[in-house]
Amino acid sequence: MRKGILTAMSVLLVSASLAACGGNNGGNGGNGETQNGNAAASNNGNAAPAANNGGGSENTAAEEVVDPFAKFAEPVEVSIGRAIDPNYKFDGTDTAEDNVYTRWLKDKFNIVVKHSWEAAQGPDYQQKVSLAISSNDLPDAMVVNETQLRQMVKAGQLADLNEVYEKYASPELKAVYDSNPGLLDGVTFDGKLYALPETTLPSAPLTWIRKDWLDKLGLQPPKSLQDLETIAKAFIDNKMGGANTVGIVGTQQGGTLYSTFLNSTDHWYNFSSLFFANDAYPGIWVKDKDGNAVYGSTTPETKQALGMMRDWYAKGILDKELGVRKSTAEVVASGQAGIFFGPWWSAYNNIPDNIKNDPKANWRPYAAPLDAAGKFNSNQATGSSYIVVSKSAKHPEAVIKMTSIHKWGKDDEFNKLTAGKQMTSQEVPLFLILGAGDQLEYAVNSLRNYLKGEMKLEDFDQVNYGWAYEMAKHVDKIKKEPFDSYDIETFDQAADPGFFTHIYAHLNGGSTFVDADINWVRSIATAQTKTMESRWTNLKKLEDETFLKIIMGSEELDAFDTFVQKWKDQGGDKITEEVNELK
Amino acid sequence: MRTKGFAKHYVLMLLPGLIWLFFYNLFPMYGILTAFKDFNPGVGILKSPWIGLENFRYMFELDDSKLIFRNTIFIAFAKMVGNLIVPLTFALMLNEVKNKLFTRTVQTAVYLPHFLSWVIVAGMMLDIFSYNGPVNQALAALGFEKGLFFADAGIFPALIVGSDVWKEFGFNAIIFFAALTSINPEMYEAAAIDGASQWKRLIHITLPSILPVAVLLATLSMGNILNAGFDQIFNLYNPTVYSTGDIIDTWVYRAGLIDMQYGLATAVGLLKSVVGFFLISVSYVLAYRFANYRIF
Repeated sequence: MRKGILTAMSVLLVSASLAACGGNNGGNGGNGETQNGNAAASNNGNAAPAANNGGGSENTAAEEVVDPFAKFAEPVEVSIGRAIDPNYKFDGTDTAEDNVYTRWLKDKFNIVVKHSWEAAQGPDYQQKVSLAISSNDLPDAMVVNETQLRQMVKAGQLADLNEVYEKYASPELKAVYDSNPGLLDGVTFDGKLYALPETTLPSAPLTWIRKDWLDKLGLQPPKSLQDLETIAKAFIDNKMGGANTVGIVGTQQGGTLYSTFLNSTDHWYNFSSLFFANDAYPGIWVKDKDGNAVYGSTTPETKQALGMMRDWYAKGILDKELGVRKSTAEVVASGQAGIFFGPWWSAYNNIPDNIKNDPKANWRPYAAPLDAAGKFNSNQATGSSYIVVSKSAKHPEAVIKMTSIHKWGKDDEFNKLTAGKQMTSQEVPLFLILGAGDQLEYAVNSLRNYLKGEMKLEDFDQVNYGWAYEMAKHVDKIKKEPFDSYDIETFDQAADPGFFTHIYAHLNGGSTFVDADINWVRSIATAQTKTMESRWTNLKKLEDETFLKIIMGSEELDAFDTFVQKWKDQGGDKITEEVNELK
Repeated sequence: MRTKGFAKHYVLMLLPGLIWLFFYNLFPMYGILTAFKDFNPGVGILKSPWIGLENFRYMFELDDSKLIFRNTIFIAFAKMVGNLIVPLTFALMLNEVKNKLFTRTVQTAVYLPHFLSWVIVAGMMLDIFSYNGPVNQALAALGFEKGLFFADAGIFPALIVGSDVWKEFGFNAIIFFAALTSINPEMYEAAAIDGASQWKRLIHITLPSILPVAVLLATLSMGNILNAGFDQIFNLYNPTVYSTGDIIDTWVYRAGLIDMQYGLATAVGLLKSVVGFFLISVSYVLAYRFANYRIF
C-alpha cells in the first residue's frame, strides 16, 4: 500500500515538474519564432509602406528606415508589472492602467498596455519583481534595479534588444544615450543589449535649511561641520519647531545611513553629507593612497565620522528617533525640523507639504558642510532603474517605441489632453528618467537667462531639452523679482500650481547644485562581484547594525575596529581582491 | 478497519482534502531542491546545477545562523507561554463576573485587535513608544529618563512578545470561554452545598475541567514554535535590534528576496521546517501522554 502511494506520488511529481519545465522552454523557443513573425508583420503594415513581401528577413529589415513614432497597424499588447503610488489621485475614474496617457498611447500608436500585476512602489514593488524573477513568471516588460537586472541576465531571462533598439529607437533617444557615455555599455553583456537604463540624475546631498529660522536667529548659512552643529543647536534651544524640535532629520525605519554602490541615487534623508565632510565614503569602493581598492566603510575616516555623529546624537543634534521613525518626511512636513540632507530634487518631495502648512517656510539648499580642506565632497550617483524586456515578450519593439514616445512623441492632441498636467510615473507605463547628461544644467541656466531677458523662448533647444522649454513658458507667472534670489517669497505659489513645484525645485535646488563646486568620488565597483553574491547579506547586516549602534550610543566607538576585523574575516578580504581586479 | 466495507466511501470522502493537500502542500515541496542547487530562475529548479550541501555548509559558518535560531526559539517560546497563560487567566477572571452585559462587552473589546493587521498595530506601537510619545511622557513626568524602546535590543523581545499577547489574548480566550461553559453547573452546586469557597471551586472544579484544553492548545502550538511572527517583527525592527530581534523568517526575507540568494534562504528555511517537524512529533507524543489526544 505504502509503496503504491509513493510510486504514485513520485510519478505525479516528476510529470508535473516536467510539464513546468517543458512549458518554460517551449515558451521561450516558441515565442522567439512568433516574435520575429510579428515584428515583421507590423513592419510591413505600417512602418515601411514600400517594403516588399520579404520584409520578414532580418537583414533587409534592419536597413529599412523605420519611423519610430508610426502607429502599429494592429493593436499591439504589452504586459507589464507596475509600481503604483496608493496615494496618487487620478482624474475621475482613471487608473494606472487606463488613463489619459494610456488611452492616447492606444489611439495614437496602437500600443495597449496590460498590467500583469501592480504593487505599491518601494519595497512592495521590489519584492514583487524579485518574486517574478525567481518564479520565472515575467511580464513582457518591467522596471528593475541593478541587482535584479544582473540576476535576470544570469538567468537568461531577457531579450537581446540590440536589433530592435537600432531599428525602433528614435534619434532623440539615441542622442540621449550617446550624450551619457558608458550607459549602454553598462547594460551590454557579451555583446547583447539587455536593458534601457535610466540616465543619471545628477545628485549630491545638499544641506537643506529653513532660512527663515536662520534669519530670525541672526545666523549665517553653514560652511563647516561646526557651523552646522551650532545652527542645529540654536534651532533646538530656541524651539523653532515647537517643544519637540528635531535638530537634523535622520534615517527612517528601514532606511540606510548613507547611499551605497548598489543603491547610489538616493542621498535622500540620510547622513551621507556628514561622512563626506569627514572625507569618509562608506558604502562605496574607493582607492586608498596606494591606489588599491578599499571599502569605504572600513576606513579610519569613517570611524572618525561615526565618532562625531555619536557625539552629536548624544547632544541631541541628530534626530533622537533616528532609524526608528516611521516617516521622516512627516517630520519635515509638520514643521518640526529645520535641517535635512537631500539632493536638489528634494524640493519636489516633502518641502511642498511643509509649504502648504506654512507658506513662509523658506527652505534653502547649501553645498555644505565642507571638509577640513574646504572641499564639498560627494560620491557620484549612478542610475539604478532599468527597463527590461522578457525573452518571451512578443513585441520588444513596442517597448522601445514607448520609451521614445514618452519623451518625444507628444503631439497637439496630447498637449490638449494633458493641458496643465505633467504626466508622472503614475500615468506613464514604464516611466524612465531620460535626459541629456547636462539636462539640469541647461534647464537652470536657460531659465535664469530667460528671466533676465537674455534668452527668448525660441532660443530654447526644444528637441533635446523639451522640459526646459515647457517650464520657460510658465516661469514668468511664477518667479517674481528679484530674479537672482530664490527665497520662497519670490515665488508666486498660487499663480500656476501645476508648474510651481517644477520651477521652484529647479531654481531653488537645481541652481545651488549647478553652481556648486563638487569634488566627485566614484565607486570602483557598481555591481556585486561573485563572492558578494553569497556574503553581502551578512556583511551588510554587520555594517548596518554596528554603525547604527555606535551612533546611538549602545556600542562604544571601538566596536568599529572589531567590525573591520570581522568584516575582513567573513569575506571582505576576498571581495576586496575581486574589486581590485575591476579597477 | 474494524468492519468490512467500512473503508470505501469514507476514503472517497477524504479525496477532495487529499487533492487539496497534494497541490498546495506536498507539490510545492519540490522547491526544497533549491537548497541543494545553484538556483537559476531562467532554467527552473530542476535544471539548475547541483551544488550538494554547499548552502548548508555556508549556513553553519555564518554567525548569524545561530543567532537567528536562538532569537526565533526564544521569542516564539515566550509568545507561546504568554498566549496560553494570559488568555487562560483572563477567561477565569471574567468567568467569575456574573454581569452578562459586562462580560459580553469586555470580550468583544479585547478580541477586536486580533483583526487588525500588524502594519496598523506596529504603527500604533511605534507612536506610543516614540521619543515624545505617551509612554515616554509618562516616564518623564515620573522623573525617569526618556528612552528609545524600539532601538534597545534588551527590551525589543519583550515588546514583541507583549504586543503579540496584547493583540491575541482576547481571541485566544474564546476557546477557554467555550470550555468553561461546558462544565456541568451541578458540580458547582454540589461543591457549594458542601461548603467550598469560590476559590476552592476554582481550584478543584474549574481548573481541572479546562486543563485538557489548555494542554492540548499548548502542545499543538509547539508545532508552530519556529513561527515567531514575520509580519510583526518586520514592521517593528531596525538594525540596532538585529541581535535579539532578527528571526529566521526576517533573515530569509532579506537574503532571499532582497539579496536574491535563493539557495541559502531555502536552506535556512528547510532547516526550520525540519526542526518544526521534529517538534510537532514530540508534541504529538506529549499530547497523547498528558491529554489523551490523538489522531490515529
